[in-house]
Amino acid sequence: MVSAVDTIIFGLLLAVALVVILVRTRWIVLTMFFVAFLAVGLLFARHVTTVLDLSF
Amino acid sequence: MADTGKLTVFLGNTRIVVPEPTKRWHRVMGRLGFWAQVFFLVAYIGVLSTAMFYFQFAQGEMPCPLCILQRMGMMLSSFGALFIVSHSLKKTLTPSGFMTGLGMAILGAMLGAAMSIRQILLHILPGDPGYGTAMLGLHLYTWALISFVVVMAFAGVLLTFGTEFLPIAPVSRWARGIVWIVVVAFVATIAINMVVVFLEEGFNWFLPDNPTGYELIGFTPTPAPVPTP
Repeated sequence: MVSAVDTIIFGLLLAVALVVILVRTRWIVLTMFFVAFLAVGLLFARHVTTVLDLSF
Repeated sequence: MADTGKLTVFLGNTRIVVPEPTKRWHRVMGRLGFWAQVFFLVAYIGVLSTAMFYFQFAQGEMPCPLCILQRMGMMLSSFGALFIVSHSLKKTLTPSGFMTGLGMAILGAMLGAAMSIRQILLHILPGDPGYGTAMLGLHLYTWALISFVVVMAFAGVLLTFGTEFLPIAPVSRWARGIVWIVVVAFVATIAINMVVVFLEEGFNWFLPDNPTGYELIGFTPTPAPVPTP
């Protein structure tokens, strides 16, 4: 099972970039952009509620 | 197009007037508006490449989850410039498309700025050395916040002078070729980041809070020695 969330989101960002370049229809571009925006936002929400266990 | 050199459209009671760039300074501003978007893309390609090739590969500093998120924020923000540049080159850019692109840039920059602020706040206490190496006295997440603020200011100025900065793409083949190379380089930057993050994350759900190596191939890089003053 593929579970690498960050990698999947980068794949989504790559798809959005290709759609932005190749697709002329504005609502398709915007839908893809907001899906990616939401995905990145949710990943950020996951990290912002956890403590980063950093060592120096 | 009317004889006055202006295109007038009525939407309900709203009259929208788009002046034709007949004057020389209008065309100069339009070209400047186009190349400003290209510079936006080049700047973020440079930032993302420096973070990956210099700090991650040469210096052996593994990016933490928030660092990766800020890279994503930079990409989201750059989609606005990518939209404007690619549609301008294909002669399909409209004034609403120009506004769409700048809106995407602002939204991406806002999300990225929230991430940078979160990381700055984690290291805000006096005596905290911060995460990773500082560059010109500031850590990379602080530079990231500065870049997101610059993007918001950039989009604000372009929207304020929206008509004047409506992009005019170059005509010459070499100039258009250079811009398409920049577009391809941006897409390649995202693809390379995806591969590198996969190497770092492996098949784990999320990146570890304090990554020390590449999970997929089981490789732990040795950080470059810090030069003594």
